[in-house]
Amino acid sequence: MNRKEFLADCGAKGLAGVALSLFPWLESCTPKAQQEIKGEKARIGIIGTGSRGLFHIKNLLQMPEVEVVALCDDYRPHLEDAAQYFPKAKLYDDYHRLLEDSEVKGVIIATPLYLHGRMTIDALEAGKRVFCEKSMAFTLDEALEVYKCRERVGGVLLIGQQRLFDPKYVKAMQMIHEGKIGKVVGVRNYWYRNNDWRREVPSPELERRINWRLYSEYSRGLMTELACHQLQNGSWAMGMLPEKVMGSGSLIHWNKDGRDVYDTVCAIFTYPNGVNMTFESIISNKHFGMGEQILGSEGTIDLVTAMHYTDEPAPKGSGMHQLVEQIENGLMSNSVFAGTSWATETSALAPGLPIMQNVKVVSGESSVGAEADGSKELIEAFAHAVITGKQPDKVLEESYYATQFALLADKAMKEGAILTLDEKYKIPYEPLK
Amino acid sequence: MHTRMEIVLPRLEEPMAQSVVRDVEQRVSKLERLMNRFDNASPLAMVNAVAATQAVELDGELFMALELCEVFRRGTGGYFDVAAAEQPRSGAAYLLDGKDHTIRLASADVKIDLGGFAKGFALEQVCRMLRESGVESGVVNFGNSSIAALGHHPYGEWWPIGVANRKCAGAVAGEFRLCDSALSVSGMAESGEYHILNPHTGLRVAGEELVAVEGRSALVAEVLSTALYAAPHNQRAEIMGQYEGYRATELYCRKDGTTERRLIENNR
Repeated sequence: MNRKEFLADCGAKGLAGVALSLFPWLESCTPKAQQEIKGEKARIGIIGTGSRGLFHIKNLLQMPEVEVVALCDDYRPHLEDAAQYFPKAKLYDDYHRLLEDSEVKGVIIATPLYLHGRMTIDALEAGKRVFCEKSMAFTLDEALEVYKCRERVGGVLLIGQQRLFDPKYVKAMQMIHEGKIGKVVGVRNYWYRNNDWRREVPSPELERRINWRLYSEYSRGLMTELACHQLQNGSWAMGMLPEKVMGSGSLIHWNKDGRDVYDTVCAIFTYPNGVNMTFESIISNKHFGMGEQILGSEGTIDLVTAMHYTDEPAPKGSGMHQLVEQIENGLMSNSVFAGTSWATETSALAPGLPIMQNVKVVSGESSVGAEADGSKELIEAFAHAVITGKQPDKVLEESYYATQFALLADKAMKEGAILTLDEKYKIPYEPLK
Repeated sequence: MHTRMEIVLPRLEEPMAQSVVRDVEQRVSKLERLMNRFDNASPLAMVNAVAATQAVELDGELFMALELCEVFRRGTGGYFDVAAAEQPRSGAAYLLDGKDHTIRLASADVKIDLGGFAKGFALEQVCRMLRESGVESGVVNFGNSSIAALGHHPYGEWWPIGVANRKCAGAVAGEFRLCDSALSVSGMAESGEYHILNPHTGLRVAGEELVAVEGRSALVAEVLSTALYAAPHNQRAEIMGQYEGYRATELYCRKDGTTERRLIENNR
């Protein structure tokens, strides 16, 4: 999908008209915003050219408004991999040197978690516009430090919470905020895989550098690598932040290779109105894959598959609802309901309805990234912000709290306690609704 | 008629739409009361109860409906028969007297069942009512097996209606483009029951295929889909030969989601 198609994919004309008031951070996707940067270049440096960095590079190559002028990685093979794509880019093995490069206006940070906070602060203080992968920081204190630094120096800071830029999530949240599933009464998130989460290590001394995700010295494991994305769904749908967190984590299956982060976690986040959001992740069974479901008093929206299920379909089993919903969304596609006679005693289970056309469903199996998951749109929004210097509205606060609650849940698991976020970590928050 | 009717009327002011739908509901309810053989108070139940022993005078509309059924019986080689039974008879099952508007059943075991006719008959009338009310675009779905379209979809030149492949969830057996036309589908019931009888043998037809008929009239499409499903394969083209402007397709659905579609030739 290209930028011009983005708002169209959010539900054709209907959403395009209202999206900007509800989703102001998407402003850079509009034709007007595109016109604003016509002919200009976002000169970007990339810090961290491993698997996620390369994923961004492949998207950046499709963006004419971007010029990658510098690359940095302290692991030479990764740096050389990336350099093939940008032969003219300057190469650094120390990110401080890249930050001193005046040609670099924006930096993309795709390094291990424990480096995010320090690198982001250094980049902001060097006057760079910054995109950093999620999670925002390694500790609760560090996340606050990053947020305050951005406040102090101004400029641009975006965090890799790409669901905010994924059309199916944008459409789903609009439907939820319009009351299409009634009152939100629960949020279910899960992420199951069946692999050891390891990367190949060419030499044993590189184990902890390459497989940093597996060691608590560098990583918070499943909470910061996976949950962080999904926890943000709850706040987005509910329009509020969780009040308390509890959870349990264990190392139950991949426990013979020296790692010390959990390979199974389960956490409950309770909102001020009593609604619970759950997150569960197991990496030794993948049957259910990835799921993100907003449960309402009148229906359910599955964010991953972009399907809408009503609790009381009336009449049950009718495909005519699909037809009505398509017309309301300005769409025409095959409505499948014809067949032999439906009789009252043989009503089938009600099918769900797609909330939009051409949905790309992401399995969640890849630990690098997936096509059409909002990542490209997010990087495009960053490129736009590098040129204009304008911080997209609201998204930083959303990313901040996604990180804080992922970290708080990890702490709750380690302490076996029910925790609330300390007042000192609270920042001004305006819900996305 | 033991099913539901759904109506989609895009771009119609709500008060107008509600008024039209109220009128439709009244009309269809009246037909239901007239033609439901399971309702002891219906004229049809009365026919089934006593017309074997005495001629029963009928309401004009019910008589006209039975006359139409008789025309279609003859026009389908006897494969559309509202008096079909598991014990087939050699002679006529009923006798209509056009002068007195009465019916006589040949014997006490003859039962008239308008189940395969009433939906098409009602749908035809509903479409006319909608048109007379100024509706230019809409879809009426009567129990999924009888669908009529007025005009075209607001975002296209037809209404795309898919037939579901029940052997594979989510798979589509066929797409039909309706525009001022109707679609009727016959085959094994959703419950898995073979409910259509071959009037000539009295046996339940156990065809695995669906028969979909599209054309101008919802009533003719309904009658034809039932008759074609009941008829042996080698007689289907001959039946179609008597109906101009209708297209019939056999849909052989498979569990892997694919469907083999065979057009029934029209031997005109």
